[in-house]
Amino acid sequence: MTHTLRTFFPYVFPFLFVLAMLPVFQFSELPKADFTFTNGTEIESLDSAHVSGAPEGRIIDAMFEGLYRKLPDPEDPNKMLPVPAMATGYELSEDQRTYTFTIRKDAKWSDGSPVTAHDWVFSWQRFLHPETASKYSYQLWYLKNAQRYTGRKIEVGDRVEIERDDRPNPAQTYPRGTMLAGVVKAQEQLGTEDDPIYVYEVQLVAEQAGQPQWDQPGETQRFVMIPRFDERKHAEHAANLVRQVLPHFSEVGVYAEDDHTLVVTLENPTPYFLELVSFYPLYPVNQACVERHGYPDWTKTENVVNNGPYNMEFRRIRDRIRLRKNPEYWNSGEVSLEVIDALAVQSETTTLNMYMNGQVDWGTTVPTSIIPELIERDQEKLNQPGREKEQPDMRIEPMLTVYFYRVNTTKPPLDDARVRRALNLAIDKRAIVEFVTKAGQVPALGLVPPGLAKYEQQVSGDFNPEEARRLLAEAGFPGGKGMPRIRLVYNTLDAHRDIAEVIQQQWKRHLQVDAELVNQEWAMYLKRMTDLDFDVIRAGWIGDYPDPNTFLDMFVTDGENNQTGWSNAEYDQLIEEAMSESDEEKRMEMLEKAERILLEEMPILPIYFYVSQNIVRPYVKNFYPNLQDLHPLHILEIDEAQRDFILKAEGVR
Amino acid sequence: MIEFLVKRFFWLLLTLWIVYTFSFFLMWKVAPEGANLSERKFPPEIQANLDRYYGLDKPLIERYFLQFGKALTLDFGPSMKLMDLHSSQLIRQGLPISISLGALALSFAMLLGFSTGIVSALWRQSLLDVGFRLLATLGIAVPNFVLAGFAIILFVFILKWFPAAGWGRPIDLVLPALCLAAPFAAYIARLTRTGMLEVLGQDYIRTAYAKGLMPRVVVLRHAFRGAILPVVSYLGPATAGILTGSLVLERIFFIPGLGTHFIEAITQKDHPVSLAVVMIYTLLLFTMNTLVDLSYGLIDPRVKLNK
Repeated sequence: MTHTLRTFFPYVFPFLFVLAMLPVFQFSELPKADFTFTNGTEIESLDSAHVSGAPEGRIIDAMFEGLYRKLPDPEDPNKMLPVPAMATGYELSEDQRTYTFTIRKDAKWSDGSPVTAHDWVFSWQRFLHPETASKYSYQLWYLKNAQRYTGRKIEVGDRVEIERDDRPNPAQTYPRGTMLAGVVKAQEQLGTEDDPIYVYEVQLVAEQAGQPQWDQPGETQRFVMIPRFDERKHAEHAANLVRQVLPHFSEVGVYAEDDHTLVVTLENPTPYFLELVSFYPLYPVNQACVERHGYPDWTKTENVVNNGPYNMEFRRIRDRIRLRKNPEYWNSGEVSLEVIDALAVQSETTTLNMYMNGQVDWGTTVPTSIIPELIERDQEKLNQPGREKEQPDMRIEPMLTVYFYRVNTTKPPLDDARVRRALNLAIDKRAIVEFVTKAGQVPALGLVPPGLAKYEQQVSGDFNPEEARRLLAEAGFPGGKGMPRIRLVYNTLDAHRDIAEVIQQQWKRHLQVDAELVNQEWAMYLKRMTDLDFDVIRAGWIGDYPDPNTFLDMFVTDGENNQTGWSNAEYDQLIEEAMSESDEEKRMEMLEKAERILLEEMPILPIYFYVSQNIVRPYVKNFYPNLQDLHPLHILEIDEAQRDFILKAEGVR
Repeated sequence: MIEFLVKRFFWLLLTLWIVYTFSFFLMWKVAPEGANLSERKFPPEIQANLDRYYGLDKPLIERYFLQFGKALTLDFGPSMKLMDLHSSQLIRQGLPISISLGALALSFAMLLGFSTGIVSALWRQSLLDVGFRLLATLGIAVPNFVLAGFAIILFVFILKWFPAAGWGRPIDLVLPALCLAAPFAAYIARLTRTGMLEVLGQDYIRTAYAKGLMPRVVVLRHAFRGAILPVVSYLGPATAGILTGSLVLERIFFIPGLGTHFIEAITQKDHPVSLAVVMIYTLLLFTMNTLVDLSYGLIDPRVKLNK
């Protein structure tokens, strides 16, 4: 036997190779998409309740649609405007707290069923439900009582909804078990901090047609909710055990008056509420689909039901998502591209290679170091015959994102605002964007990026070493004498290091202040930031919506993202009051004043505002740069003649 | 031989268990939040809900036993980063791609390695020999991702033979497979050359020539067989090396293989996926080494497995 095996041995390897190669030869040639773009990382989820990133946003925005949708303003296409989408319009109450949306009658889900107001009630309840664990649920906390719902905040006398422990599938939040409604008469918390047991005495109320009759109180019952239920440990409570006790959802500010009328009540007048409803986390999901398949199975290609301009044809992990035009979409006549490929290309160099080789039409990022050359390339192509008026490929535009340093204001000498201001004035930000970042970034003199409507940009002092030295001397450190070393913490990335080194030099040169650069791996960097274990630490912030509030409310006392130890009562009050101010002009004035306080006290050192770095073939039409770097796919068009011309001119394909 | 295999199987189980335990604690100790780590701090209500959703509110040791039990049934849990997907889906899509790429690369490596090795040995000290040896040294010295950069400039942008990156057509595989194969081809060439030189001087080769056999038959039938023994022992680690070594290349050439998933899982702290891939790599390495040990006995009768 050994002998025969030995004879065959030389053929074993080739055979194994042929076997392993089989998958390759099974490939069928994929028909080319009409439009291909690089979408950055693989999307984390298709479920709008679970994601918070830009790549996910692009896909969800193509597959789903909210009440409103942001599209380029016809008058100034570089501005984005919320326009009616699933809703045909809205009415705003006098106190600016109640929005009544009219849902489009011809709107359909991809399975043919109509889109109704109830879809939002379900989707937003699911979005806010604590068990959904949505990272972005605070985007909906503008609704009345929404924060209480997510946080399970229940007081005696509150109306609550009780879910019995009889879910069809205990691992899924939806479909829910039997629901009861009642009023809390007493509550207590037993067990330990780690293993709490919540006990409620609830007076139940009768229900008619699914509506609780609050004026018909019934018997009082005891209910026990145990997040970490263990049959042996909690046997005594098993009889009264319920799955979930939450504030009653009818208390939350959203309900469907009828199939086509959605009424939304807010805590405060929120002038940017339309921006929020046109933001993808607030898009609806299909109740039947979610309840039939559960999460995450409902997001599978074969299961997903959506209401946007595109359907998902297939998804290959970390390769591509192929989108195909949705014939059920209400406005599908206006959608020009039939098939779109979203490639999950991580490497910027690969993105550029594929772009130059004609494999993609739009790259969302390019390697920063090569941007000057790409800009030059755009200049050169204008000299070629027939291309004199071509748009540039490289589209660099300011974005709603700021790069800054946080200062630890709890420790001397940085607890002195004069020292912080001196450090700020000694940084030559113009030099940083010109010689270090080099991609057209804008030096930041304040926290809020430029370009926000009605908001006047606030500025701290520009680079001024003399004034910086004077301030430092005033604070008791003339010529930097006696000033301890500053620990400047950043996370591992060459770009961060380069900037930190320049700032280190500038502080040394202009103030004779020494800084020690501390490079930290991501997890450690975040930990040091939370623990305030730094003197100065790198940070960045992307605006969630185009309003200064998304930047300024970060620095209220003890805000989750404050992380500087800074606290100012007047600032807190201004932010708080601005929140409920219905006069847009007054609100902006308050926010401007708040930013002035922030810049006077300087708990942060703003460095620069980011720019978007899209590279787009000029034959792609309706692509406009904008502050939030949003580029709806369904309005894009391709000029075929120009495409053939350009690709030929560049010798591609 | 059966006894050998049984013994190896037990060692395999032990190795897998140790690797699993070690990796599990290392990963969760170094980055306790896993992929939930974020620059953006969430309000405490949301943070608590997230921790509960991923079971991070339980003590580590309890989670170890829970997840080890599941891992025994090949269930490494859902991905923490790609939340819609289960780690087994990633493996199912990624592994065949990496294996195809690896198999093609290994074929290239053997084809190039054997042929240049034999030529080098037959025409020793000729210009060809020196040239091949120089190339081989370069191939070993230059990392494959550097080679990839040069290959892209040459074959994609100057010659326009291959696409820059991507996956889906057989032609997409050629360039990455060549880059992946280069160092292995170089090594095989050197091993083959040394082996051939040694064998060519032996008595049985002279006998074969004396019998009047054609030089081609002597070289391919008699000398080559004897010469590839060192190469075979190298093939085990080489196969494992090729399968696990495609990490960076997969990223450069945008190939959605296991290597890409592994790199992403590690940088994104997606522990369930990292663990699953580590276990697959362990299994591959172990199996390949066992196969090589087995093949010794088949090629060279002097090797006894049970000793």
